[in-house]
Amino acid sequence: MREPNAVDFWRGIALITIFINHIPGNVFQNYTYSQYGISDAAELFVFLAGWSIGIATRGRDGVPEPALRTILRLLSRMVEVYRAQLVITAIALAMLAGAALYLDNPLLVEWHNAGPIFSDPIQATVGWVTLLHQLGFFNILPLYVVLLGLAPAFVLLSRVHLGLAVGISVALYAVSLVFEINIPSWPVEGHWFFNPLCWQLLLVLGFAAHEWRRSSERFLVWRRRLMPLGVVIVIVGAVLSWFNLRPDPLAVPEPRLLFIFDKSYLSPARLVHFLGVLLAFQAVFAVVQPRARWLVRQLAGLGRNSLAVFSVGSVASLGAQLIRFWTGGGFATDVFVVGCGLASLSFTAWFVEWRSRSPRPSSAA
Amino acid sequence: MALSLPPALLGGVSLAMASCLALAQSSQVPASQVQPSQVQGPATTQAVPANVPAPSSQPALAEIPALQATAPSPDAPDPSLSPECRVPGSKLYTLAKLKAVKKALREHRAVQVLTIGSNSGGIGTAATYPVRLEDALTRSLPDVEVTVESRGVSGEIAFGAAERLRNQVAEIEPDLVVWQVGGNDALARVDIEEFAQSLAETVAWIKSHGIDVVLVDPQYTASLAKDDYYRQFVQAIQKVAEREQVPLVQRYEAMRYLATRAISALKGDTAQAGAGFRLADLGYRCMAEHVTRAITVSLLQPDIATPAVVAPAH
Repeated sequence: MREPNAVDFWRGIALITIFINHIPGNVFQNYTYSQYGISDAAELFVFLAGWSIGIATRGRDGVPEPALRTILRLLSRMVEVYRAQLVITAIALAMLAGAALYLDNPLLVEWHNAGPIFSDPIQATVGWVTLLHQLGFFNILPLYVVLLGLAPAFVLLSRVHLGLAVGISVALYAVSLVFEINIPSWPVEGHWFFNPLCWQLLLVLGFAAHEWRRSSERFLVWRRRLMPLGVVIVIVGAVLSWFNLRPDPLAVPEPRLLFIFDKSYLSPARLVHFLGVLLAFQAVFAVVQPRARWLVRQLAGLGRNSLAVFSVGSVASLGAQLIRFWTGGGFATDVFVVGCGLASLSFTAWFVEWRSRSPRPSSAA
Repeated sequence: MALSLPPALLGGVSLAMASCLALAQSSQVPASQVQPSQVQGPATTQAVPANVPAPSSQPALAEIPALQATAPSPDAPDPSLSPECRVPGSKLYTLAKLKAVKKALREHRAVQVLTIGSNSGGIGTAATYPVRLEDALTRSLPDVEVTVESRGVSGEIAFGAAERLRNQVAEIEPDLVVWQVGGNDALARVDIEEFAQSLAETVAWIKSHGIDVVLVDPQYTASLAKDDYYRQFVQAIQKVAEREQVPLVQRYEAMRYLATRAISALKGDTAQAGAGFRLADLGYRCMAEHVTRAITVSLLQPDIATPAVVAPAH
């Protein structure tokens, strides 16, 4: 078990933010940073995933591991994430159907895009298992599956030249934005909530930032020098989101995705805002760590076990929504469901580490 | 680049499977059991005196020769609807002008419709709601081409979904948006004021770009009949529709009407078990007809009259 570090700490914060934001309408939602900027925790999560790939694909001595090992490592992670997505989607469907039966309320099986799975199961079963049909709020892991599929290409390219990998990533992003290319959803018309062709840029930037930090003195200097710019961007973002100011998508010039605020395509405004957040908050971990050790340990624990914690968080947030619906919501309910949810996230992190520490039962048992 | 294959593969595999399934389905449906209620379109509408040619006494019809509809009496069950979906007009819609669609009809231009929300046409039916809507609108507006695109919006209007909806409208630039609104927000128990404000802003925005809007309010189900929050929620949508002067398909009222009728028709145990689920299914089967009716009757609204909302909101 590694010591708390900035990546795990921030990932822990992203996980908690995502959990709270996935219970729409709860009182704590107003206190997450997503309400005060153009970008949100999803950007942070994907960027840190890229950073972690940078760490994972080098040995302890900092030497890049063999290419084949990198490919297998990333693909096996992809399989793991895909498996998690199937499991949590299946659980979510059963929760919605179970609640619909128990509360005699057919509206619940329609919630979060689940409708087609019950009304049109033949097509929709193919859809959700191939990730082409995604439940509302269960759309980050499908993105992550595709990103992990793309990651080996970028990691290996970066070993030829890091700039080349970043250049190709930027080009793919720009082409997808200008020509509005996204993976279609099926059987329901539409597109993926998170467009992997655009969001790959954040993964590659996270990876590249890790590499530059290792090798480039200039990167560290500029990162510090640009901090005030980051603060300005964060303030501008806060003002824009506070007053709900954003471009009118029918009034902007073509190619319109360059100008609007769009989450699916990670439009440039979101990207710039997120980079501003990174610059502005880069020193926070070093300040917080010595002052709040218990909190940092907890958050880093969540971050170290992000897939398990995210999966449990997804299911818990749906459970919280169902409880809020059933009871009618209110402050006490929100305190209860969010409190239980955070406790279950913490327990999950502890449990995963306990399990890996404990001797496994033999397969014969 | 073999490594960029997974998304393409996924797409390819499932498209292949999709086409197989589509073939399998289309060959299956006519052969095996098709209940009379599942047959929509020509069969049902021919049985009912629906597409009565426009009498010359209707001024609005004289303006738009393409429109095949007559204004029904508001309080009797509307005979142009298929029997299982028959609801009086006063319980089915409140009306308002649809300027963009009318303009397209006058110019004999294709009408593009964007539906937002669930695309279910009922369990086990051959056609989805957007397909049924396209059929029904094409029958009602035989002189112009009508195309229907659909998008699901996950999430809540009060928290970000309205923003995504704007981007979808900008992507498709339709003449008319038919929006099943409020389901997610009502289940999430979001603040009604916050929801209504966000809805009003979004509707006003769509209209400000010369695009028509028809709202469809959430479904009725017996277990929510006494839920005050839910009723207030449905009323909030009615108020927004009235204030923003857009037609509203009162799915809640219509389904409540159909529910009382279904219970009096089916006495005893059969009325109880799974009644809510059957009603929800019926609601989806009827939605394309109900929406089409609200659109065609709204198109009959004269251009000169100032009060836009005609039918009472009970």
